[in-house]
Amino acid sequence: MIKVDKVTKKFLKTNKKKEKIEFIAVNNLSFNVNEGEILGILGPNGAGKTTLLRMIAGIMQPDSGFITIDNLDYKNNEIDIKKKIADLSGNTKIYGTISPYELLKMCAEIYDVDKEEIEKKIKNISKILNMDNFLYNRIEKLSTGQTQRVNIARCLIHNPEYYILDEATSGLDIVTSQIILNFIKNEKVKGKTILYSTHYMEEAENICDMIIMINKGKIITTGTPEEIKKKTKTTNLRDAFFSLVGESNE
Amino acid sequence: MNNKTLLILKKELRELFRDKKSLSMMLIIPIFIPLIIIGMSALFESQNNVDIETYNKIGFDYELSDTEIEILKSLDIDYNIKETDELKEDFNNKEINSYITKDGNNYIINYDEANIESSYAAEMARNYLEAYKSILEESYLTLNNVDIENFNNLLTYESKSIEQQNFYANYIVNYAFLFILMAITVSATYPATDATAGEKERGTLETLLTFPIKSKDIIIGKLLSVTLSSIITGLLSLILSIIAIAYVGNAFSIYEGTTLLNSTIIICSIIIIIAFSIMISGLCIAIASMSASFKEAQSALTPLTFIAFFPGMIVFLLNISNNAILSIIPFINFSIIFTDIANGNLNILYLALMFISTIIIIILVIHHIIKQYKSEKVLFNN
Repeated sequence: MIKVDKVTKKFLKTNKKKEKIEFIAVNNLSFNVNEGEILGILGPNGAGKTTLLRMIAGIMQPDSGFITIDNLDYKNNEIDIKKKIADLSGNTKIYGTISPYELLKMCAEIYDVDKEEIEKKIKNISKILNMDNFLYNRIEKLSTGQTQRVNIARCLIHNPEYYILDEATSGLDIVTSQIILNFIKNEKVKGKTILYSTHYMEEAENICDMIIMINKGKIITTGTPEEIKKKTKTTNLRDAFFSLVGESNE
Repeated sequence: MNNKTLLILKKELRELFRDKKSLSMMLIIPIFIPLIIIGMSALFESQNNVDIETYNKIGFDYELSDTEIEILKSLDIDYNIKETDELKEDFNNKEINSYITKDGNNYIINYDEANIESSYAAEMARNYLEAYKSILEESYLTLNNVDIENFNNLLTYESKSIEQQNFYANYIVNYAFLFILMAITVSATYPATDATAGEKERGTLETLLTFPIKSKDIIIGKLLSVTLSSIITGLLSLILSIIAIAYVGNAFSIYEGTTLLNSTIIICSIIIIIAFSIMISGLCIAIASMSASFKEAQSALTPLTFIAFFPGMIVFLLNISNNAILSIIPFINFSIIFTDIANGNLNILYLALMFISTIIIIILVIHHIIKQYKSEKVLFNN
């Protein structure tokens, strides 16, 4: 289980007058993600989704509050937690000068995958994601869709318990987006826990069990898609969001 | 070595050897060193062997005696007797290299100090006047019944050079070493920038940080790959320098009778190259990792090239002697110890002090970088 408890993250920003001003990206957020659940984190650009997920992935530290994964905290168990998770964002970049095979082998070794299993796993993942044709080509020569498949393969290689997916379909074409959505659905079937941030409300409505809507670093509502729609008396999450943002702005 | 450090090292080396720019920095820069050694040697040779006919034309505004003409001929001076104004004009037109005017017993050598041929001509004129003065002194003493032999033996002296190596040999060996240090510095900057600021700019650093690897393993892996690349550049530069020095030693007369290199110099050079590579790689990684972009890192690292070269040049030009304190001062120590060794003064204590101080400094630098890598300011400052 992922537990986020009263987490706050502030940054210093420089305004037009070149004065340093404090900017609260994540403001006292608390929520839990249960095992086997897909939690959608929805909000517009700049809402604080990426900062929140970076903290959960352990590449940023909260200014206050706590994050635990399976009751382990980053301060004392950073490596153990990172072995349990896979992080993938729309901006995730991978090494261009190596081949998908070399990348997967490197990742498997980093995640301490059993040496005898590595070759078998790579072959299996390559087959599932239809990567056989470009498994030994340099990543820099691959198309966006192929690169994103390599990224998914990278996440699958160590069989993580948790996936942190930040705007993973952002900017992708419909075919590549579908590959990622299928991947999420497949992992859900396997009982994996997924944190999925997006600003595409329809996408979240289709795949998420639970939703957290955030705006300006604060949670504006939580619940299942159905509960949120019912609460806001709307028919879809997009309208629900605007209804809530209107309320919160007031 | 930690397994994760090895994985990072393997990744970095794979990227390094597949990147054309990194490879060219590592392998092409050393090729310039032999060219510089041969070019400098050719320049020294040409300066040392100046044809006498380019500077032996001296004018006189007075009549010369037979004795003076004999002296001028013995000194290979091409003399010319004219009026002062004509001599001035000839000098301005570069038809003569200097001219001597006479006022009673006072002779004035006129020459242009900024012109090397004119300076050589003035030196010849001085020799002529010294020789002529000596003859006049002897005649004067004989006329006054003074025993010339006793008079000349009142004080005698001679000059004897005790220098083992000739000036040019010393110069070329020390400069070759400085060029090796410069090549290492230049070649370390690119992979260090690429492994830190470059990785940040390409967005792969964030991916790397999501992996279960400690910052310490990431930094040490990166440092080792840059150090290895610097050592390859350094050793390649050394090999090419040895070949070039062996060639110029045989090809140019200025090095005649001098042993330019020996096994002690070569072995100590390898030790210094390894220590210098560790030092410069650590500094390059530290500086580049603080930069937001590749371009910013390259700008920040440019002064390192000068820092690596100039202390060594100053040490050599000012002929500074080594001591225990200088042996632990970064950059000065590498050059001063090499200069000592090249002059045949190997001091194991100073060599050990240099190596130990380098290791201590690098441990501190690594500690600093590891702390930086945990800082979000460094990771997300762009």
